[in-house]
Amino acid sequence: MTNSVPEIRDCDLMFVIGSNTTEAHPVIAMEMKRALHRGARLFVADPRAIWLTQMAEQHLQHRPGTDVWLINALAHVIVAEGLYDKAYVEQYTENFEEFSALVADYSPERSEAITGVPAEQIRQLARAYATTKKAAIFYTLGITEHTHGTDNVFALANLVAITGHLGVRSAGLNPLRGQNNVQGAGDVGAHPDNLPGVQKVADAGARARFEAEWGAAIPTERGLNLNEIMHGIEDGSIRGLFVMGEDIVVSEPNAARLERGLNELEFVVVQEIFPSETARFAHVVLPAACFAEKDGTFTNTDRRVQRVRRAVPPPGQARPDWEILADLARACGYPMPAYATPADIWAEMARQSPKLAGISHERLDRDGGLLWPCPSPEHGGTPTLHVGAPMRGKVLLHAVAYRPPVEPTSAEYPLVLSTGRVLYHYNAGNQTRRDRGPNMKFSSNFVEMSRRDAKDLGVADGELVRVVSRRGQVEVPVLVSPRVRHGLVWMPMHNFATATRTNLLTIDKGDPITGTAEYKVCAVRVERLGA
Amino acid sequence: MADTLTIHIDGQALTAQPGESVLQVAKRNHIAIPTLCHDERLDAAGCCRACLVEIDGQRRLQPSCNWPVSQDLRVSTRSPRIERHRATLLGLYVADHRLDQDGLPVHTTQGNELRTWAETTDFKRLLAIDSPRHPRGVDANPYVAYDPDLCILCARCTRYCDEIEAVSAIQLAWRGAETSIATAGGRGLLDTTCELCGGCVDVCPTGAMHAKQAPRFEKPGAVQKVRSTCNFCGVGCQLDLNVQDGKIIQVTAPPPGETVNDGNLCVKGRFAYGFVHHEDRLRQPQIRGADGELHDATWDEALHYAAKGLLGVRDRHGPNALGFVSSSRCTNEENYLVQKLARAVFQTNNVHQCAAT
Ligand code: SF4
Ligand code: SF4
Ligand code: FES
Repeated sequence: MTNSVPEIRDCDLMFVIGSNTTEAHPVIAMEMKRALHRGARLFVADPRAIWLTQMAEQHLQHRPGTDVWLINALAHVIVAEGLYDKAYVEQYTENFEEFSALVADYSPERSEAITGVPAEQIRQLARAYATTKKAAIFYTLGITEHTHGTDNVFALANLVAITGHLGVRSAGLNPLRGQNNVQGAGDVGAHPDNLPGVQKVADAGARARFEAEWGAAIPTERGLNLNEIMHGIEDGSIRGLFVMGEDIVVSEPNAARLERGLNELEFVVVQEIFPSETARFAHVVLPAACFAEKDGTFTNTDRRVQRVRRAVPPPGQARPDWEILADLARACGYPMPAYATPADIWAEMARQSPKLAGISHERLDRDGGLLWPCPSPEHGGTPTLHVGAPMRGKVLLHAVAYRPPVEPTSAEYPLVLSTGRVLYHYNAGNQTRRDRGPNMKFSSNFVEMSRRDAKDLGVADGELVRVVSRRGQVEVPVLVSPRVRHGLVWMPMHNFATATRTNLLTIDKGDPITGTAEYKVCAVRVERLGA
Repeated sequence: MADTLTIHIDGQALTAQPGESVLQVAKRNHIAIPTLCHDERLDAAGCCRACLVEIDGQRRLQPSCNWPVSQDLRVSTRSPRIERHRATLLGLYVADHRLDQDGLPVHTTQGNELRTWAETTDFKRLLAIDSPRHPRGVDANPYVAYDPDLCILCARCTRYCDEIEAVSAIQLAWRGAETSIATAGGRGLLDTTCELCGGCVDVCPTGAMHAKQAPRFEKPGAVQKVRSTCNFCGVGCQLDLNVQDGKIIQVTAPPPGETVNDGNLCVKGRFAYGFVHHEDRLRQPQIRGADGELHDATWDEALHYAAKGLLGVRDRHGPNALGFVSSSRCTNEENYLVQKLARAVFQTNNVHQCAAT
């Protein structure tokens, strides 16, 4: 997020796109509700009529995968009506000519034909957004889980930049990051292109610093991202795998193909807290401590580094992941330093990472969370990015043209399947499935379907159906719901049972830059059982 | 920014911002005023009458939580009249509450603000009142329960449910001495719009709204609180793990105003901690044997087997035949070590986390 969570309550306008905030980020949704209570305006773009759309002034119900058409049309209106911040564009952006020439083709009327969103709605949002100072954009996986996810983000960034909503309190561009430490894991280098401290592998200086710190050479060519590693498993170029705390055969798309690949691997190490689905493929299982049983830090969605503290002992012989990892490196013959606590590990990383250098466990224990960039021990952290001027001097406006999703519907597979999350469960479900409340709310997978599609198919609410894609099929009950439109079905990605995993259906094509797969659009058909 | 104002509390000149309440200014300046129905996150209700003060020009005592500041406003928070009011009001509250053997409101695990007030303030002993407040019928929800005997009708829970969680699942119902907190039609929370956020438990000053699974009447200090960060979504809510005998017995939110979540949590962060002590947890390293099954092993065996297996793949096929999947669920320090393992030990950049966003 360019801005921090506590700024949300002071927003005057919120544009939420591709984020089911009340279910996926409930406490951020509470901040949005507080802004609404104060009189803020809310616009929500989502293919489903999620709860947030009922609180919104306008629901822009676009067809799945047509985000670029919708966002470029908003930019079209802002440029055509002269509502953009000319001074900001002049001083702080580049490539406005190419960008404005491109969006000139994305008129609201043409957008309406493709997105299904009335042109008038697009105009109203564009005008309201451009003319409100404290106007913030929020998005989640509805934007990124596409083969054009990066394009979607660029298109949104254009909107923010041309209206000068950057570096302003309660405004900005705010990806709500899904998991507790998805931000931090990338920040500290669990990324094929990035070294710790948000520094590039290609950056020779950063590489040299860590080579000196580690006493080892770092390969210079970029590594494979998760999507590519999965493809490598499937095509046999990856032969061995180490997996920590991730149930890949639940969370990764096209799970059946992945499982076939995993079966062929020569060696798989799984480090986990539960006997996950992925542990079925392990040659070694290493039992780990959960968050309540170890020390460390997580970095949340607003770049806030916060402490995790040991409250109870781990069960049996389970050990904190950091201890296991250090010992595994030693067993491989590498001289891992003798870390007394995770504070030492953080210190090793931070001293080679200018953006994180000012943060230490000691400081976090004293002051609570700190938002990076935080370059020195005296620095108070950075709640709002790009204040005064964009960090890189100028924002490059990307002229992004619409590309359709990779798997269009067909006569054989006439419905679009989108996947997501429910409030009561968390990701693979290994944790929440083991608590009573979430199970009382949702204990099995289901497929959400419009009344019209259910009627055409001749199925009743609660009836078991078969959902079939080119990659697999699952049998789940139907939830007839006004939340989805005719032509769209929706399923949660949580694992309720091995045989009904939604990701048996999804497509494993990824965004060319991030590798994030197109979980939000694939083609399926739904069949009546016994028919 | 509008101009600041000056008000006078107990003769002290204090600066205030337009729109603030007398209570906010007093609190900032460490002037103690008792409150029960007040919560910074909620609109002022002015209903408990604990915070009444004298305001120049006003005939009656007025609620400081709901009195907006104005230039040169003069307020006293201490006077014989206010003492009398507090002694009677507190006496009334105590007379209609569950008491311990010392005649004070009972201790509750989440803290009983009425008891704290009664411990530090002289109050009138009145005859016990037993209000026929409506209890909650059968409610299968596993997390939230209501005990009418501890309820002081401050409506913090219903206002939280309405203003912050915005589902309005609970409300004040019935009248007079029968007034109670209820759902429409007396339904269980699972059959209402309730999202089981537990905010009603959190804001309850006495423990009338309480967590079903947790012990209810522990004294302060009996439960250890460990501040940590929620391990579910990316909001990064701060939470206090309440520990007794090596087990988490409850998760509570730190007070509002201190952390990113401002005292709020969702159903997962507050209640779905059962997995921590679940019997399915892995407790022992395991190695797959020739029979295709996983067998218990020692740490030493498992670590060396893992090292040998990974090094073997590297030696046979080169470092880039290995993939390292790190975890956005684990700590920064652990993710740092996974990439160090990949890069420094195995010489590959094939390391990534489940990075969907
Ligand atoms: S748990 Fe949350 S949603 Fe349910 S009644 Fe309490 S405050 Fe309302
Ligand atoms: S309490 Fe809920 S909203 Fe807060 S971090 Fe945990 S999962 Fe997210
Ligand atoms: S706190 Fe002011 S009336 Fe309750």
